[in-house]
Amino acid sequence: MTLPMKYKYRKIISPICLMVIWEIVGRFIWVDPFFFPPPSAMFKELYAMIITGEVFPHIAISITRALSGYILAAVAGLTIGLLVAWSSAVEDIIDPLIELIRPISTFALVPVMFIWFGIGNGSKIAIIFKACFFPIVLNTIAGIKGVDKKLIQAARSLGANGSQLWIKVLIPAALPMIVTGMRISTAMSMLAIVGVEMLAADSGIGFLVIDAQRTFATARMFAGIIVISFLGFSLDRIARIIQNRMLAWHTETSLSGGMV
Amino acid sequence: MYLIEAEKLKKVYAEGKSKNTIAIEDFNLKVKEREFTSIVGPSGCGKSTFLLLVSGLEKATAGKLYINGQPVNGPDPLRSIVFQEYLLFPWKTVRGNVEFGLEIKRIPKKKRREISSAYIELVGLEGFENRYPHELSGGMKQRVAIARALVNKPKVILLDEPFGSLDALTREGLQTELLRIWHEAKCTVLFVTHSISEAVYLSDKVAIMSKRPGRIKELITIDLPRPRTKDMFVSSEFREYERYLKELVWEEFNDVTNEI
Repeated sequence: MTLPMKYKYRKIISPICLMVIWEIVGRFIWVDPFFFPPPSAMFKELYAMIITGEVFPHIAISITRALSGYILAAVAGLTIGLLVAWSSAVEDIIDPLIELIRPISTFALVPVMFIWFGIGNGSKIAIIFKACFFPIVLNTIAGIKGVDKKLIQAARSLGANGSQLWIKVLIPAALPMIVTGMRISTAMSMLAIVGVEMLAADSGIGFLVIDAQRTFATARMFAGIIVISFLGFSLDRIARIIQNRMLAWHTETSLSGGMV
Repeated sequence: MYLIEAEKLKKVYAEGKSKNTIAIEDFNLKVKEREFTSIVGPSGCGKSTFLLLVSGLEKATAGKLYINGQPVNGPDPLRSIVFQEYLLFPWKTVRGNVEFGLEIKRIPKKKRREISSAYIELVGLEGFENRYPHELSGGMKQRVAIARALVNKPKVILLDEPFGSLDALTREGLQTELLRIWHEAKCTVLFVTHSISEAVYLSDKVAIMSKRPGRIKELITIDLPRPRTKDMFVSSEFREYERYLKELVWEEFNDVTNEI
């Protein structure tokens, strides 16, 4: 639901209030600025990082890692998801693995990945892969299996069979679910990359934050966190826009709630 | 020579929640080419099952089912089915939906456009070619579904309570439209309905089914002149057909209630 323009300002009230209260507390009431650097200091730090251009390579490397893992996960997730939905034999073989590996926290696998892939980019991409793979594969399976049986009957009665049924009916009908899985995974990739860069990295936005903490530069640490928030937010917005463009029919259908 | 011949037809559902239910048994019905036959009977008597058997989407357990002298063997676009729930492809426009059967047959785009335009006109949807299903009313969706079924030039069109979820006025309008379309498309119609007056108004013959396991209890020829008009609804002959058919259906219904 999009709000009318005149109500849009409501959405920025709470972030601004938080900043203002924090600033007032930081300036006029005694708190240790080491723990609570005032927002003005954070944004000054952020401004400096942008002006010197120092932040951009970190952003670029984080996004590159996240995107590499994400693309691998998307390709594998879609392929395996479609295979599982297609054949019950494949499902019986693959499903137990999915169910056993999925509940393992991504970060529980970090030590394993370090041993297998070293502490370079390989292990980081593998971690992103683990974080992104499951939403995509599960939504693909659920999407295909959830296609209305009668819609399939209607298509078969019109002459569709075998591969035509998949390409022209099952996949398009499941696309809203599949794309939702892919969108959830973009958020997952950001969560995972920041975490893993804090554990072992000498670059990336997660490294920037942990490095600032290690050197007690708390204003800089918070500036990095603002960058992370902004990156995650923008990525989700972009994913939403792509989703809505691709699936205009679906958004409209769910809004009108009609039978189709 | 009959177009549809069902002899001692039997269908037992082997799986799902209706496991081992005998849907129809000892089902005999013969339909001539270009006849309009309605099937009326109590809920769950197997009316829809018979349509699914004729469409080839379900396989008979026993008995004979011949179309045009050939045994039914799987779905065939020459026997199109239209469901109560429309089951349009929500990601396709009106034109895209109507062209589905042609797309499956790999008919070139230009030719497809020509054919679909003719059928869109036949069902009275000119000007709505580029609309999506969610932008249409229930009556319009059902028109699209009918055009989509007609595009393969079927010999038989199977309508499973097509007007069941429409309001009374739309329903009346579409009944008249259906007669016109049937006349122009020169096909044979099997029409499942709960409405006795609808059956009398539309049909050459009305088949009354018994309660489950369904069989044809009586086949009545409706000897009203064509073209049918709305004022026939109040003629004494129409009323007499209606009264007689209602009695037959009520007998079955009472049997069902007595069992409870």
